[in-house]
Amino acid sequence: MQRAGDTEQSAWASRLLAALALVFGVVGGSHALQIVDDRGVTVTLPASPQRIVSLLPSLAETVCALDRCQRLVGVDRYSVYPESLRKLPQVGGGLDPNIEAIVALRPDVVLMSRSSRAGARLEALGLKVVALEPKTHADVQRVILKVGQLLEVPDAQRIWRAIDAGVSAAAQSLPAHVRGVRVYFEVNQGPYAASEASFIGETLTRLGARNVVPGALGPFPKLNPEFVVRANPDLIMIGQRSVDALQTRPGWQSIRALREKRVCDFPADQADVLVRPGPRMAEAARLMARCLETKAPGAKP
Amino acid sequence: MTQPRAWWLLWAGVLGALALTVVGICVGSAGFENLLQPLLHPELDPGRSAMAQQIVWEIRLPRTLGAWAAGALLGLAGAVAQGLFRNPLADPYLLGSASGASLGVALALAALGGGAGMLGGNMMNGSVPVSVFSSSVWVRLGLTGAAFCGAVLAVLLTLVLSRGVGHTLRLLLAGVVVGVVLGAMTHLVLLFSPDSLQAMQAFMLGSTAFVGWTSCVLMAGVWCVCVLVAWLLARVLDGLSLGDATAVSLGLPIVPMRAALVAVLALATGTAVAQTGLIAFVGLAAPHLVRSVVKTTHGHLMLLSSLVGGVLLMAADTLARGLIAPQELPVGVLTAVLGGGYLLWLMHRGQAHEGGRA
Amino acid sequence: MTMLTRNAPENIALSAHSVRASLGNGPAKTAVLHDVSLDIVAGQWTSIVGPNGAGKSTLLKVLAGVLHHGGTVRLLGRDLHRIAHRERARQLAWLGQNEASADDLTVWDVAMLGRLPHQDWLSAPSAADHAAVEQALRATQAWDWRCRALGQLSGGERQRVLLARALAVQAQVLLMDEPLANLDPPHQADWLAVVQALVAQGTTVVSVLHEISMALHADQVVVMAQGRVTHHGASGDPATHEALVNVFDRRIAIHAIEGQWVALPKTNPSREDRNGCNTHPGLLGVGSLLPLR
Repeated sequence: MQRAGDTEQSAWASRLLAALALVFGVVGGSHALQIVDDRGVTVTLPASPQRIVSLLPSLAETVCALDRCQRLVGVDRYSVYPESLRKLPQVGGGLDPNIEAIVALRPDVVLMSRSSRAGARLEALGLKVVALEPKTHADVQRVILKVGQLLEVPDAQRIWRAIDAGVSAAAQSLPAHVRGVRVYFEVNQGPYAASEASFIGETLTRLGARNVVPGALGPFPKLNPEFVVRANPDLIMIGQRSVDALQTRPGWQSIRALREKRVCDFPADQADVLVRPGPRMAEAARLMARCLETKAPGAKP
Repeated sequence: MTQPRAWWLLWAGVLGALALTVVGICVGSAGFENLLQPLLHPELDPGRSAMAQQIVWEIRLPRTLGAWAAGALLGLAGAVAQGLFRNPLADPYLLGSASGASLGVALALAALGGGAGMLGGNMMNGSVPVSVFSSSVWVRLGLTGAAFCGAVLAVLLTLVLSRGVGHTLRLLLAGVVVGVVLGAMTHLVLLFSPDSLQAMQAFMLGSTAFVGWTSCVLMAGVWCVCVLVAWLLARVLDGLSLGDATAVSLGLPIVPMRAALVAVLALATGTAVAQTGLIAFVGLAAPHLVRSVVKTTHGHLMLLSSLVGGVLLMAADTLARGLIAPQELPVGVLTAVLGGGYLLWLMHRGQAHEGGRA
Repeated sequence: MTMLTRNAPENIALSAHSVRASLGNGPAKTAVLHDVSLDIVAGQWTSIVGPNGAGKSTLLKVLAGVLHHGGTVRLLGRDLHRIAHRERARQLAWLGQNEASADDLTVWDVAMLGRLPHQDWLSAPSAADHAAVEQALRATQAWDWRCRALGQLSGGERQRVLLARALAVQAQVLLMDEPLANLDPPHQADWLAVVQALVAQGTTVVSVLHEISMALHADQVVVMAQGRVTHHGASGDPATHEALVNVFDRRIAIHAIEGQWVALPKTNPSREDRNGCNTHPGLLGVGSLLPLR
């Protein structure tokens, strides 16, 4: 009844849209594509780029999440997800790319981070460079939309909505006792921690946990280990390789998380997901949620 | 003839160390806080006192004393290096020990899976992963052992290249070559394991962050051994300061003694670097600071240089912990500022006064 | 007469037999001493003279045992390299030329270094050491600044301190290479007095000197050229003077002035001097302080 009518109407609407798209497509094809990147530079492209080189793993993941993986012709050596990227030619690192290799691939656009010096060189050689660097959740959304705009993907917003929904779902799946658990997330030896201000910290906050490292110290501060001892977190999240060293740090045996063995150690592949501010943030949230669920105080084993 | 100034400097070194220990106890992740009262009068506030006890005994005291021990080792090594090479610009890392330690740490970080932290593990695309290194040997050895072994092996390599300790110039050149080559290899390793960069930087700039009682006692023990050997060999250094040929004519067995001095240098530097990372400038500045106060023979110079180095590093470490608490500055930056600043002031003062300073 | 006493074995402090030595290494290695044989008489002052590059310093280093060489050197009848290091250092002291200088040590400390062969490894300087250092520093007029650092002294003052270091060893044999470098004439005279006093006590002194007039104060003169000894004889011997004049291409002349032998450089008799005036053909050269004859 209503359904059949709807179907008819939607069929009409889609045909109308298609006709309009055709008209506008022909007309629009002659309009240049303009995009403002994170440097504030307005990059003008004649059309949506078909050959893309990416020098930042999160940007390559974003392109693939928008289902335009086939347009990537070259990636940096650290972009290894999804698996199909491993077959592409590698053009060096993000900060030290092989300029010659990039030019040889004849890309329509090069996606890179803001902090790479190669941008100026590539632009001087006539290539189009779009610099985007996601650092927070808001950044990730923005970058997804920008890349969507660049690739002329309709409704790139849905990708962000999926991520957002995934994070919320992970948060809702947590039992009540997990709320307010005090977490210390160590990123690297130093010790470098992820504070509230980082994207990892934001995810943790959305999951209901409390970060012992305040955001005022910056996103990834290098801490005095004494600070962690005094903060006495309930739970520690850390990479698998450095879990054993925790016990040997002076004074750390008294930390609640270590005494009660509430340490989540993530193997290398999981760690890779956690530190990437990109489309896999929902999966990162799920990993962290699972950790909180099983290891937070009051959890049933 | 021990000059009165030498005694003055000795007492200044000892008292300075004691004073800085007290200050060091009070400086930590909450900046400067007076913990003496809770420690000395536990009955006043038992809760706070218990926390103070734990923080001080387990964390701050070993860090502060460890900083002294590392500084003492570096100061001693600096004096030995400057005497051995007859060059006021010599520092303890001249025989390649710094680059060797860096390479050891870089290899260990790469073997432990890229940074031994979160950022990790994805190395070369498709080829055999680095797990060939991840045998348990590396894990047991840890970063400390890797740094020490790297430093000592680099010095051995230098000795092999220079074919012994006969010629000072050849030794110096071999040390520079080894330093440069191993440094390049370190960069190569880091290239394939870029996630180690952060951890590597922490090592390169030096820190007492993870110095516990074991490290502290180890460094102190090595210091005692090195000071003893250096004191015995001080005469050789004095004789060498008049030239190799004169030293030979005075009956000094310079080749075996030089080898012993190089061993002291390697041991002291390797131990300090393994526990606290690469702290620059202490080894270079401490002997100069001593010489600016008193002109004396190597026996006294090495001991005083050791004390001055210890005080210098303690001061720098306390500032590093306290200035931007709870974050930490790299200690190497502060040693350069403190030591370098004082040397610059000395040079300026020397230029202002014509003629010699006594 | 001198030949008989010279060859008596108990009178020989140092002797060299067929000594060969080279300097440099690898392709740049050059032979500096060719088959040198020499006997230094004990209790006398021998001076080694010769043009630049003759190998004088090298020969002295070989005699001191601080340079590798072919052939043998004997000290007081024993092979130099078979004697234990410290014993040799107590019997033989060597002062080098342009060796490294310990700028940060005090004068007293530098002089005390000369006592190293006599000191036990760990003990503090003994009363004998103190006395020897004081005597040496007073002999070179350096006692008053014994607390100053070596780096603060002028070239001549530093040389006197290094001399004191060599004197402090109180060795039976003293070898000195260019000991008068940077010394002004009064201190050269002081040095002369010290050496003569030492020889009077029975010390054997061997010096390499550029100042031929000073060298002619010695008992024996060894003339060297191009890595070989061309003459060895008493300093008053006319044959020695002839050998000296020959080794310098006849560009010096030796005169007796006020009871001392003096060597003066001379210009070529047929050459005009800069003013265009003819100099008197003879012995007086540029820079002479004596009145024209």
